[in-house]
Amino acid sequence: MTEYINRNKRQLTWLLYAIAAVALALFVGDQLAGLKAARIVQTLISGVLVGGVYGLVALGIVVINKASGVFNFAHGWMMVVGGMIFWSFFTVSEISLAGAGLLSAATMFMIMTTVSYRNLLEQRNLLIAAGGAIGLTALMTVGGIDWRWLHALTGTFAGAILTGLAVERFTIRPLIGQPLFTAVLMTLAVAEVLHGVTQIAWGTVELHLPIFVDPQTSSRFKPIRLEGLREALDGLAIIRVELVIAFALAIVAFIGFILFFRYTSVGLAMRATSEDQQLAQSVGLRVRVILAITWAAAAFLASIAGVLQGGAVGLSLNISFVALRVFPAVLLGGLESITGALVGGIIIGIVEQFGTLINSSEQAGTNLAPYVVLMLVLVIRPDGLFGEKRIERI
Amino acid sequence: MKKLCLLLALLLVVGGALPGMAQDMMEYPSDLTECEVDLTGETVNIFHFGDLSGPYAFITQPIISAMTDAIRYWNSHGGICGAELGQIYEDTGGSREAAQSAYDRFTSHYPDELDLLLLYSSDDGELLREQLAEDEIVSLIAAGSIESLYGEDGQTPGWLFASNPLYINQFGFFCQFVAASPETFPDPVIGFVTWPNAFGRAGTEPAAREYCASLGVNVLEEPQFFLPTDTDILTQVQNAIDGGANIIYSNSLATGPALIAGTLVDLGLEEDIKLAGVNWVMDTTVGLLGQRVLKPNGLPAVDGMFGSMPFRWWTELSHPAVQFVYQQFTLNERGITEQNIAYLVSWGVIDSIIEATIRTMNRMGSLDAVTGADMRETVESMDYAVLGGLMHHRFEEGMRDATMNRIAVLKYANATMTGPATGPGDAMLVDGPSGKMFVPLVVPLTDFMEVPQLRGR
Repeated sequence: MTEYINRNKRQLTWLLYAIAAVALALFVGDQLAGLKAARIVQTLISGVLVGGVYGLVALGIVVINKASGVFNFAHGWMMVVGGMIFWSFFTVSEISLAGAGLLSAATMFMIMTTVSYRNLLEQRNLLIAAGGAIGLTALMTVGGIDWRWLHALTGTFAGAILTGLAVERFTIRPLIGQPLFTAVLMTLAVAEVLHGVTQIAWGTVELHLPIFVDPQTSSRFKPIRLEGLREALDGLAIIRVELVIAFALAIVAFIGFILFFRYTSVGLAMRATSEDQQLAQSVGLRVRVILAITWAAAAFLASIAGVLQGGAVGLSLNISFVALRVFPAVLLGGLESITGALVGGIIIGIVEQFGTLINSSEQAGTNLAPYVVLMLVLVIRPDGLFGEKRIERI
Repeated sequence: MKKLCLLLALLLVVGGALPGMAQDMMEYPSDLTECEVDLTGETVNIFHFGDLSGPYAFITQPIISAMTDAIRYWNSHGGICGAELGQIYEDTGGSREAAQSAYDRFTSHYPDELDLLLLYSSDDGELLREQLAEDEIVSLIAAGSIESLYGEDGQTPGWLFASNPLYINQFGFFCQFVAASPETFPDPVIGFVTWPNAFGRAGTEPAAREYCASLGVNVLEEPQFFLPTDTDILTQVQNAIDGGANIIYSNSLATGPALIAGTLVDLGLEEDIKLAGVNWVMDTTVGLLGQRVLKPNGLPAVDGMFGSMPFRWWTELSHPAVQFVYQQFTLNERGITEQNIAYLVSWGVIDSIIEATIRTMNRMGSLDAVTGADMRETVESMDYAVLGGLMHHRFEEGMRDATMNRIAVLKYANATMTGPATGPGDAMLVDGPSGKMFVPLVVPLTDFMEVPQLRGR
């Protein structure tokens, strides 16, 4: 018997997993059996849409990890900073010229000195920096309140680039060549610094970010009501427009980043850098620039996610906790996989919603179900659904 | 925004009670005990710590503003018995470890001075209950949990004293109101859709369910939980409704009640399902954040939400306490987001601390002679109209939480600022950052009455 078990260990393990999966499926099926079709469809819709936002947050974490191997614990606070910058431009009727100018100048300074501070000694670079700063300032301040979308998007773009580049320049760059764990710990420190900065700059009171509003009524967009399916579903299902917009933006971001990593030289260089920074540097890749671009891109993604989340529920420091909820999605999809971030996000969104549908009173949806699914997947595929299998020479 | 502040200030004229307060400085409304000790040259510090930057930040931040304003007021009016008033506080960010660390620092740095400590959250109260007793330090807290105030058995009064009734008692009080209002709440069934922490779960205990059932108000056994970061709670709300709930009750803050109300409107159930909650749902933040979803009648989704109101509110300007706090709020140029429960109640808590300090000092003969045990003796014997009636502190006979409560309803002001609007046509609309905004108004529906005592049942 012992010999048989030892010989067929792998098959028996799989058999146990299969039994567990079937038992879980039977349990879930039994729980859902008595429910109206409308509830199940509604839960699925909510799960997919919420999962899309999770995917967008996960994408920012994955981009950093893909390029540098660092798991960024500061991502949640980068979301908060991005959302707050957007709010500052979106809700103020008269943008301070000095403030906008300072933000633009700082952003251009960081961009132009990505490779070296000596770049600014060249007259041509100085002119580009000045022109860029003037252009950004103009976009942030032109027109009145009717132009607030332009102001806010430009301001958020500049703020995100500045945040990303500053984090990379002053905290990550000095650690090139050091153990990755040091950089991961550094992101924890960055998170606390961003926490403090946010609190000082914007306070801690919850802010209303009215981006998903009907301009006629100043109220949130009315949800799409699936009245035509009411009879078939034995009830009403609805689709919330703001979540559809967030989902659509997430998909656009995903497609953009997949194309970027696959077909651009910078994207390919990022992938090479993630394999081995010192090796990449030795073959002539500009690791510093690549890391800077990566952090700027991740900060921009975090800002988009912060704005969408803030628009859906209000802007507060609590938004940073969304990144914690997304960690299972990142691990499920695979730490380096862009596709995995989206798929992981959607799976976790659906699992959360169905967990809540079945048993909300014990928080099964948020505290239990995502982690059970994560465990099952990791046991079967330790690198996540779409993660790269790592083979190391010993 | 300035215009909004101005109009919100105008709202306070509701009821026509604003007796020249813009021009004349109000008298301090409390009837404080006269000092028998001269403390000139000394400093009396108010010690406090709690979550100023974590999950509760949006409700606690105005505490610091109120403390700062009150201290400035007292020091410009001769201090307490001649002593300068000061504050020593720390932000713990909602972390238990940070709270413990702050407590350790306070007790080691100020072992003789620290007789009374102000805390913000039930979690901190539970964490420090035994240590406060051991160190003989009295603590005032806004609304503690049963465990923090009365121990695990619900029958052992400790060293913490709460300004609000226990949340479970507030829920029982709401059940009384529902039972007494059959026209508004026919065949009432309450379902909890609430946050999952100690605060959110208060009231979901079997004792509360049994008490409400005895009044003819059914409460669903299974509460539905959601997190402050959730963007979509259709599943939780629908679960409660499918379970039979026609009233949804929530222990949540700021966006929490607004999210539930918005979901009810999305489902087209805003008329069929009533919404209610603990005292924090009546806060300004809910009135402002709740405007992003409008009902079919054009008023914000949270219009008509019921809640506890165990103290006077900003709109009750006929009351001297509210007049006084409002005047200080205006003089210190505080913003609309700070015009909330925390700012108002903090003035009351400071008043209570000052009264307790004076009474104890008078009894002991000097400030240095006062110990935590002396302070506890004073607080335990207090039957005090805080700030002349903003709220009432009566901690006799082993009580550790407030016993009086009211039910109020959240409405929006009409164009003439004389009462609630019936629709957008007659509502007061002001320019806000997101366009036109309604002006929130809290209307008390009952007088102050005793809450039922449901702990330890």
